[in-house]
Amino acid sequence: MTNPVIENIRRSLGGQRPPYNPRRGLGPRPAIYESRRPESVDSEIEQFLDEVRKLSGVAEKLSADSVSDALKALVAKNGIRKATLWHTPLFEQLGIENTLRSLAVDIISPNADKHEMAHCDLGITEAEYILPETGTLVLASSAEKPRAVSLLPRLHLAIVRPEMLRPDLHQVFAEHIGRGEASLRPYTPDYLVFITGPSRTADIELTVTLGVHGPKNLHVWIMVKNLTVAFD
Amino acid sequence: MSETPTYIGFEAYTGHIPPSIPSAVQQATARFAVGRAARVSELPQFEQLRQIASDIRLHTIENMDTYLLRFEEKVTAAGGHVHWAATAEDARQIVLQIAREHNVKLAVKSKSMATEEIGLNHALETAGIEALETDLGEYIIQLAGTGPSHIIVPAIHLKKEEIAAIFSEKLGIDAPADPIELTRIAREILREKFLNAEMGVSGANFLIAETGTLVMVTNEGNGRMCTTMPDLHVAVVGIDKIIPDWESLTVFLKLLARSATGQKLSTYTQFITGPRRAEGEFGPKEFHIVLLDNGRSDVLKDPIGREVFKCIRCGACANVCPVYKNVGGFAYGWFISGPIGAIFAPQMLGTPTARELPYASTLCGACADVCPVKIPIPTILRHLRRRVAEGDQIAASTMPAPIAAAAKLSALALAQNWIYRFGARILPPVMALFTRDSWISSAPYPLNRWTKSRPLLAFTAGFRSWWKNRNAK
Ligand code: SF4
Repeated sequence: MTNPVIENIRRSLGGQRPPYNPRRGLGPRPAIYESRRPESVDSEIEQFLDEVRKLSGVAEKLSADSVSDALKALVAKNGIRKATLWHTPLFEQLGIENTLRSLAVDIISPNADKHEMAHCDLGITEAEYILPETGTLVLASSAEKPRAVSLLPRLHLAIVRPEMLRPDLHQVFAEHIGRGEASLRPYTPDYLVFITGPSRTADIELTVTLGVHGPKNLHVWIMVKNLTVAFD
Repeated sequence: MSETPTYIGFEAYTGHIPPSIPSAVQQATARFAVGRAARVSELPQFEQLRQIASDIRLHTIENMDTYLLRFEEKVTAAGGHVHWAATAEDARQIVLQIAREHNVKLAVKSKSMATEEIGLNHALETAGIEALETDLGEYIIQLAGTGPSHIIVPAIHLKKEEIAAIFSEKLGIDAPADPIELTRIAREILREKFLNAEMGVSGANFLIAETGTLVMVTNEGNGRMCTTMPDLHVAVVGIDKIIPDWESLTVFLKLLARSATGQKLSTYTQFITGPRRAEGEFGPKEFHIVLLDNGRSDVLKDPIGREVFKCIRCGACANVCPVYKNVGGFAYGWFISGPIGAIFAPQMLGTPTARELPYASTLCGACADVCPVKIPIPTILRHLRRRVAEGDQIAASTMPAPIAAAAKLSALALAQNWIYRFGARILPPVMALFTRDSWISSAPYPLNRWTKSRPLLAFTAGFRSWWKNRNAK
């Protein structure tokens, strides 16, 4: 089948180059800048928390036994009545859903209709990776981890662990591509999103305003106690 | 706005710039330029990154066909649909066709230059489909019925009181002149629209050939809404947005937000590869991408001019440009303004339409110093000035014949010593005919282009004879 756009590109660039051969791969390309090197896990955690705070997010270090108290405080302070959360083993283990119910918060399924999800005050997710340099959460997507949970509620809480730390974009991207279906590799999952601070705009007279379309508040809890982690 | 212009009268426009424009634009440009400088100073590898980014872009431009075909193959494998649009009209028809097939009544849009380029909103509205801009700044100017005055803050020329008045008039509500309150009102209205739209329309910042992935960078979250809530997502993207792989993307992501707004990363960066795969997940059931050529493949012929396609649309060049800061975005007459607009429009629309833009510059070089992909903007501006004045392999001269002839003649004279000397000798007596009190206040056509703006001092002595006799008493 002929493609006039491709043909015209070839005419313009000149015909000396060999024709495209899908099995030959993409050929050589310029070198890439090397990755950032972390000092220690502790310094990475501190930098991550620091960056989230600089972006007007709330960032805290928590241990597993302090989660229910922290949830209680969050619910009371922000008037949370409806919440939705990802279905993950970590949340199961931390008893998040039960704690919320005991606080009289309505739990909406993360697979509920979008109109219903839009009325949630709180959405709780994990992250696949976190990036300390920029204070970024990297979220994947699946039926258990729907993307709307970090988008529709007015407050987004991400609960993360130090194991999710990656030094740089290089590692995140390499792992993400590697997770695609093996037969079609490189073939990535259908969706990935980086979240760096709460939704913001400066479109009216350059006044910074949070919570335009996405969540107004971003809270990040990093679970640290009783965990030993090391970079290899 | 957003219709393809037939002539861009930069000079005529600058004759009556509303006074609100330069002051508002300079507030924005100053803020971004300062933010950029802070981020750049934190990152010692910035210069190295710029060089790598430039190399990757050049490599990609020279192999654009290969990477685009790889992209198509991967999107198709991921269950998406790829459409090729040779012209703006093709692109409009493709999108309209998709919209009709899905019985779309409301389309929500996230800021996209490619849809501005093809005038998609107008085409959709004509077909009875509401096309709603959802970026706050774009939403405001859509309500106001004007065009963008800045690449990143499109409504920067409007004061909060004016925006409140527009909201009150167009939305029939009582809107206070308070940015936070106005933002809240827009959030509520647009949220309903996101939830009810049948189609989301977006552009893209990058297309990754390696996996067929579309990369979108936004701060407000409207980009996420447009590509998550409706069941149908249609992206319209220029073919120049292609990059080889995810490793290359690391370089561009490190440069983009830092250069644009002085952020390390924008709030949301999404990576979309085909439609949603999981049952129970959100996201579009159907994913279409329209790859827009619209003249780009012709521009590739010119090895100097095609470097314009290295651009990652950060706006840094505009933020430092002394001309842009005084005239604002409207003066450039198309959806893309500032120094990048001045090298983009003349190549895409042709020099007959945009012949004034290569001259809309002082050639000070500030743009090239900040450009994260090292586009030699002043070099391309001079290259295009030459095309306008003398013509080249791409296009003939667009100057009136006497001026083109005069340009040729002076080039000849400056290159040939004897012609130059002869001219220098006959010039003073010729000038004397027009001189009053040693000033020439109106020269004959076509030289009156000079004297219209300032008088010319008549030559009194020849340099060569003065030099020869300088020591004689
Ligand atoms: S030309 Fe360079 S500085 Fe200007 S918008 Fe494009 S990438 Fe940014």
